[in-house]
Amino acid sequence: MNDTYAIILFAVALCGILLWLLSKGQKSSGKAASSLDPSGIEGLPAAKHYAYFPQIRQALSRADSDYLLKNAPPGVAKRALRERRAIARHFLQGLHEDFSNLARLGRIIAALSPEVSHKQEATRLILSVNFRFLYVLVWLRLAAGTLPLHQLEILTGLVGRIAARMDEAMTEISALSAGQFAGKINA
Amino acid sequence: MNRLEIFLSLTSLLFQILLCGFVFVRKAHRILPLFVTFVYVVLASTICLFLTSQYFGFKSSLLYYVFWAALFLFVASRSLAIAELCRYGLRKYRGIWALVWRALTALSMLLVAHAAISAWGQPNGIAIYWTSFARDFALASLIIIAVLFLFLNYYGLALDDLPKLVALGICFTCAVDAIGNTILLNSFKGYLFPWFLESQKALWPSMEALVRRVDDVWSAVHLIAFMISIGIWCYALRKPLVQPTESPALLPAHIYGEMSPAINTHLATFNQRLAELLKP
Repeated sequence: MNDTYAIILFAVALCGILLWLLSKGQKSSGKAASSLDPSGIEGLPAAKHYAYFPQIRQALSRADSDYLLKNAPPGVAKRALRERRAIARHFLQGLHEDFSNLARLGRIIAALSPEVSHKQEATRLILSVNFRFLYVLVWLRLAAGTLPLHQLEILTGLVGRIAARMDEAMTEISALSAGQFAGKINA
Repeated sequence: MNRLEIFLSLTSLLFQILLCGFVFVRKAHRILPLFVTFVYVVLASTICLFLTSQYFGFKSSLLYYVFWAALFLFVASRSLAIAELCRYGLRKYRGIWALVWRALTALSMLLVAHAAISAWGQPNGIAIYWTSFARDFALASLIIIAVLFLFLNYYGLALDDLPKLVALGICFTCAVDAIGNTILLNSFKGYLFPWFLESQKALWPSMEALVRRVDDVWSAVHLIAFMISIGIWCYALRKPLVQPTESPALLPAHIYGEMSPAINTHLATFNQRLAELLKP
């Protein structure tokens, strides 16, 4: 009887997943159907959080925290640090978005390529799953207040460099889709 | 057959004729030929079953074998329609299709083998064997369609309305088949098991009413579910079909070769840095 319940639950769960995927596909596809336009790459929001890196870096810097703790009244300093953590969490969400955009760019290029390497695709899938896992852990530590904010600063620098390179690559791919590609893609 | 079953069978036949009419008028064979074959096979099987029951009676052994043969045809043609949906959804994206078809074929073979092995171990009786096979096949079909949609979602691709609704209808019949056959199989292998044993022949007259009742309930559920699916397919075919969109312009092959490893390296660096953040 246990097997019966397990199979019934499995079938119901599969149906639920399918309905979710169908409705998700409907929302994301909009009017487009069975098509993917290379010019769509242009519309991909590439690393928009990169623009705020200097401010975030300043806000997360150790010097800034030390200054606050030394000069501001204890209550104000505490509140400021709490708010900085909230900003750091929002920023982490932004990093997540940037990562997703980069991964999505990879998937779009794969979809539009005549040949695809299963090794590269599997690697990207594993990296995406890993990122989600690590993101949750970092987010939890940040929320619990056990992650020093200045460590996040190292990451912001990295994302900045990657975002700049990806912006260049996307511009070149968009140019290619319009028949204007001339340069080398990889920096 | 009780009155409800006769009513449901006739309504189902009408629905099937209506669907065949829609399929013919909309020239659906130009887009999904194997799905159209499935629709015609279902109608032909229903007519064949009806004629056999009329000429040879409901209790004839011929009807019994024709029923299971029709079920085999139903399952086989539905599987081909699912394979066609997979090909239709991804064939325009050559690289992805080359990657996915192998995965889907391997998965299908694994699931079919599992269904065959699982059914093989069942006790004697074509009914138990085929109910088990049909249950596992329905589950396998659900898994294949779910994997197809996962791939489509992962790569941000979308299906046209017709294949999407065809998939929805197939999923609905498969889900009802999987659940219904599981319950039926449980009854066959449980309290109805003596019905399949020659040694328990003495019990058969007292069990007949119960077996017929179980059969009636399952037939009614199956017919209603199938009519809902036919309704979904008729809805998909209510308007003239739009010609499938042209294949997208693909990028030169070297772009993927250069960009994909670079993107993966960057993604790996993201992960590395995030992991470093977590180190004490």
